[in-house]
Amino acid sequence: MPTLSRRALIGAASALALFAGAHAASAADANLKIGFVGVTSGPAAAWGTSNVRSMQTLAEWYNELGGVKIGDKTYTIEIVTFDDQKDPKRAVEGMEKMAQEGIHYVVGPNVDDGAAAVRPVAEKNGIIYFPYAFPKELYTAPASNAVLGMIANYQSGPAIYKYLMDNKGVKKVAFVAANESDPLSQRDSGVAAAKALGLEVVADKDTYQNDTRDFTPVLTPIVALKPDLLVLSGVAPANAPLLIRAARELGYEGLISTETAQDAKVLEEGAGELANGFISVGGASTPEIASDHMKEFVARYTKKFGEYNDESNTKVYVLDYILETMKANPKAIDNVDEFKKTIDTFEAPNPYLKDPDAKLKYVGSTSFGQKRQVAVPMVVNEYKDGKFETLFVGTVD
Amino acid sequence: MTKKIIGLLLFLIAVFVVAPWLIAATGRTDLYYVFTSVALLSIASAGVWLTFYIGRINIGQGAYALMGGYVSAILVMYYGWSFWWTLPVAGIFCAVASILIGVPILRLRGVYFAMVTLILTEVMRLLALAVPITNGAKGITSIPLPGPISLFGLALAPDFATLENPRIAFYYLSVVLMTVCFALMYRLVHSRIGHICLSLQQNEELASSIGVNIAALRVMAYAISSFLGGLAGAVFIGATQSIYPSSFTVTDSVNFMLNCFLGGLGYVFGPMLGTLVLYLGWNLLFSMEKYQLLIYSTAMIVLMLVLPNGLLSLGAKRKG
Amino acid sequence: MEQVIANGLYLGAQYALIALGLTLIFGLMNVLNFAHGQMYVLGGFITYTVYGQLGLPFPIAVLCSGLTLAIIGGFMERYLFRTVIRRSHREESTMLLAAATAFFFDAVMLLIFGEKQRGVPKIVKGVFNDYGIILPYDRIVVGAVAAAMILSFIAFMKYTKTGRAMRALAQDRVAAQLMGVEVDRYTMIGFAMGAMLAGVVGGLLVSITGVNSGIGGPISVKAFMMIMIGGAGVAGGAIAGGFILGMMESVGLTVLREYGDVTYLVIFAALMVFLSIRPNGLMGKPWG
Repeated sequence: MPTLSRRALIGAASALALFAGAHAASAADANLKIGFVGVTSGPAAAWGTSNVRSMQTLAEWYNELGGVKIGDKTYTIEIVTFDDQKDPKRAVEGMEKMAQEGIHYVVGPNVDDGAAAVRPVAEKNGIIYFPYAFPKELYTAPASNAVLGMIANYQSGPAIYKYLMDNKGVKKVAFVAANESDPLSQRDSGVAAAKALGLEVVADKDTYQNDTRDFTPVLTPIVALKPDLLVLSGVAPANAPLLIRAARELGYEGLISTETAQDAKVLEEGAGELANGFISVGGASTPEIASDHMKEFVARYTKKFGEYNDESNTKVYVLDYILETMKANPKAIDNVDEFKKTIDTFEAPNPYLKDPDAKLKYVGSTSFGQKRQVAVPMVVNEYKDGKFETLFVGTVD
Repeated sequence: MTKKIIGLLLFLIAVFVVAPWLIAATGRTDLYYVFTSVALLSIASAGVWLTFYIGRINIGQGAYALMGGYVSAILVMYYGWSFWWTLPVAGIFCAVASILIGVPILRLRGVYFAMVTLILTEVMRLLALAVPITNGAKGITSIPLPGPISLFGLALAPDFATLENPRIAFYYLSVVLMTVCFALMYRLVHSRIGHICLSLQQNEELASSIGVNIAALRVMAYAISSFLGGLAGAVFIGATQSIYPSSFTVTDSVNFMLNCFLGGLGYVFGPMLGTLVLYLGWNLLFSMEKYQLLIYSTAMIVLMLVLPNGLLSLGAKRKG
Repeated sequence: MEQVIANGLYLGAQYALIALGLTLIFGLMNVLNFAHGQMYVLGGFITYTVYGQLGLPFPIAVLCSGLTLAIIGGFMERYLFRTVIRRSHREESTMLLAAATAFFFDAVMLLIFGEKQRGVPKIVKGVFNDYGIILPYDRIVVGAVAAAMILSFIAFMKYTKTGRAMRALAQDRVAAQLMGVEVDRYTMIGFAMGAMLAGVVGGLLVSITGVNSGIGGPISVKAFMMIMIGGAGVAGGAIAGGFILGMMESVGLTVLREYGDVTYLVIFAALMVFLSIRPNGLMGKPWG
C-alpha cells in the first residue's frame, strides 16, 4: 500500500472534522433547545415537515417576543431537527444526537417503528419524547418517557363511527390501508372498534402499496360491496385525494373518512369537489373554534414558509405543552422526573381555541393507565369546497 | 508484506484505541452508535461486495438483514435463547435460505439479477407483515439486551444490561465482527477460490470451460454474502432492541450497493470505507437541516465524477 | 370483470409509457437510470406549474415538461454519464451516479415545490359508464394519448434515421460505430429522448394522479420491474412489461383480496419465479 500515508492523512483530517463539532454544542445560558427527530425527506416528508415548521414558527414568534420566561430566567428557544428518513436505525442515531446536545424534550418520531426504536435511548438518557405513533405499549407502564402528541385512531375512530351511525345511518363499513406497519395497525384497531359498535365490516383485508398512484384497481372490488362508509386507515395525506377521487369516479356514493389529519389544499387540488363530505380529524384551524392566537400562528407560518399545512393544526400543540409544563415546574427544564411529576396535575389555558375554558392538560388514563398523552381537541372535520367545517368536537380522557 | 502488517496494526489501533479515546476526550458518546452502525452496515456491504466480485449486482442484502434480524428477535423473545447463540443461527439461517433462493436466481445476470434481488427485499418486507410469527405490522419490541457469555469459564462478554453504557459494548462487538469479517474476506479473495471468483466476474464461459463448477461457486459466494447480511441484521436488532418489517427496506438494499460502489468494487476494503463515508456524510451534514440532502447528493455526484472507480482508487493502482 | 380489464389496460398504458424511456436509456448505454422516477416527478411539477398555476393550456404544459426534461437529460448524458462511463472500469459504476442524481433531484424538488401532494384541475370532466365499465373521460383521453405516443415512438424508432441509428447502437455499439454511426451524438439524443418521455408521462399523469416530491424513487423501482418482465433494453419488452404488470395488479387486487394482505406478495413472488424461468424476461437482450 504505497499511498497508505496519504490515505491515513485524509482519514485523520476527516476524523478531526467529525469530532470538531463536539464543543460547539455547549449551550449559552439563556438558550433552551428542543429537539425534533422525524421524517422530513422522501415520500413521507409531509409528516415531519409540518411538525418542524410548526415548531420553528412558534420558536421564532416567542423569541421575537423576547423569549420564554421559565422560573426566573428567560430563554431563547432553539429547535434542533434531525431527519431520520423514516428509518428506525437513523431515528436511534437522531435520539443519540439529541442526548449529546443535552436536549431533554424531543418531538417525534412520526412512525411506529421509529418510536419503538428510540425508546431505550430516550429512557436511558432522560429524554421525554412526543411520538406521533399509536402503539399502546409506548405509553403504558413500564414505559414512561413517551407522551403521545396527538389523538390515536383507536380514540377518534369509535367516536367518528358512532357519530356516523347515529346521524348518517351508517351500517356497512369497509376498510382499506397501505401495507405498512402504521396503517395496518390502525386498520386493525379500526375494524375492532367498528365491530364493537355493531357495524357490519364488509372489507377488512384490502391493502395497497404506499407508492400506488392509481387506486382504481384497489377500490374496484370494494366499491362493488356498496359499503355506507369507507375508512382510509392511516392514509398518507398524499394518497387521500387519489383514493377519494378513484372511489367517487367508480360511482361510490357512501361516506369516506379517516382518522388522521389532512390538508385542505391537497384535497382541493387532488380531488376537487369529489372530496366534499370527506371526514378527517383536525386540530384547531376551523374558523368556528380557532382563537385569534391560532389565526396569528397560521399567518406567521404562511409568511415564513409560503404556504400553510393543515396538518399543523394538530402539530402546533406539543411545543406549548413542553414550555408550559416547564413554566409550571421550572425544575423540569433539565430533569424529566420533575416533568413527569408535573404531568399529573398540570393545567394551563389553551391559547388556540376560542373557548375560554379550553385547557392544555395531559390525558390518556383510560387508554394507557397513566397520563401520557397531550389533550388536543378532537375536532372532527368535514371537507367542503376547499375548507374544513367542524362536524363535532370530542375529548379524550 | 511488512506494509500490510503496518496497515493492519494502524487499523486496529485506530478502531480499538484512537476512536474510543477521541470519543472519551470529546465527550461525543453519541458517536458510539454511529460507529456501531457503520461497522454493522459495512459487514452487510462486504457481503454485497462479494457478490459483485463474482459479477452479480446484488440489491437484495436488506432482505437477509431483515431475515437475520427476525430470526434473532424471535429466538430471543419467543424461545428464550441467548442473544449470542442467535447470531450464528441467524447467519446460517440466511445462508441456507439464500442457497434455496440463489440456485434459481443466480442463473440471472446483469440488471436482471439486480432487479430480482431488489424485488426480494420487498418480498421479505411483505412476508414479515404477513407471517404470524413476526407479529406482523406491530413488530417485535422491547427485546432484552444481550446477557453474559463465557467460553470454558472465560468471560467473553458481560451482561449488557448491567453496563453503564451498553453502546460501548456494542461498539466493540461490532468492530470485532467487522475486523474478523474483513480479515476473512481478504483471505478468501486472495485464495485460489478468490482468483476463480475473479475469473467468473470477467468471463463465466471461460471459467466453466476450464472445469470450474461455477454454479456451485456462485451459490457459495451468495451464501457467504447472505450470512454476513443476516449476521449484521441480527446484531443491529440487538442494539436497537426492536424490529419492524420496515427495519431493513429497499432503501437499505440500495445503500449497501452504493457503499460498495463508493468504496471501489476492486478493493476488499472498499465497502468499509464506502459505508463510513456515506453514513457519516449524512450525519456530518446534520446541521445543514433542509439543505442536507442537496449537499449530500451534490457531493456524491462530484465524488463520482472525480473518482468513478471508488475512493480507494485514489492512488492505489493495484488491489489492496 | 370488464371493469377489472379496463383498469388493467389503462394502468398498463401508463406503465408502458413510463418504462419506455427507461428501457431506451438502458438499451443505449447500459445505464440503469435510478433517476427515471425523479424525472417523471419533475415533469409532473412543470405541468403543475404551467397548467395548474399559470393557467396555460394543458398540451403546452406537457410540451414544456417534455422539452425541459429533454434538455436536462442531454446535459446529464454529456457532462455526467459520459464522463463516468469513460473513466470507470466497470460500467455498473454508473448506478451510483444515477442514484446520486436521483437524490439530487429529490432534494431540489423538495426545496422548490415543497412536501405536499400537488394536483391540477381535471382536463375533461365526466365519467363514461356503459357496458359494465366505468371510466372517467380524462383517463380515456390520457390512455389514448399514451397509446398514440407508444405507437409513434415505435414508428420513430423504425422509420427515421435517428431511430435506426439508435437501434443499431443498442444492438451492437462497436459495430454501429464501425458502420459510421456517430455514437456520442446519438447516445446523447437517446438519453434526452428517454428523459423527455419521463417528463411527458409525468406531465400527462399529473392531471389524474397528481404529483409529490417523494414518489420518484418508488416509481423508478416500479419501472425497473416492468422492463425486467418484458426484457431490458427492448422497446417491445417495456410495452409488454408495462401492460403485464398493470394487468397483474388489476386482476390480482380483485382475485386475491379475500386472502388478506398478500396481493403484492404474490405478484412479486410470481415475478421472481417468472424471471428464474426466463432469465432475460420476455424478449430481452441475452446479456442483460
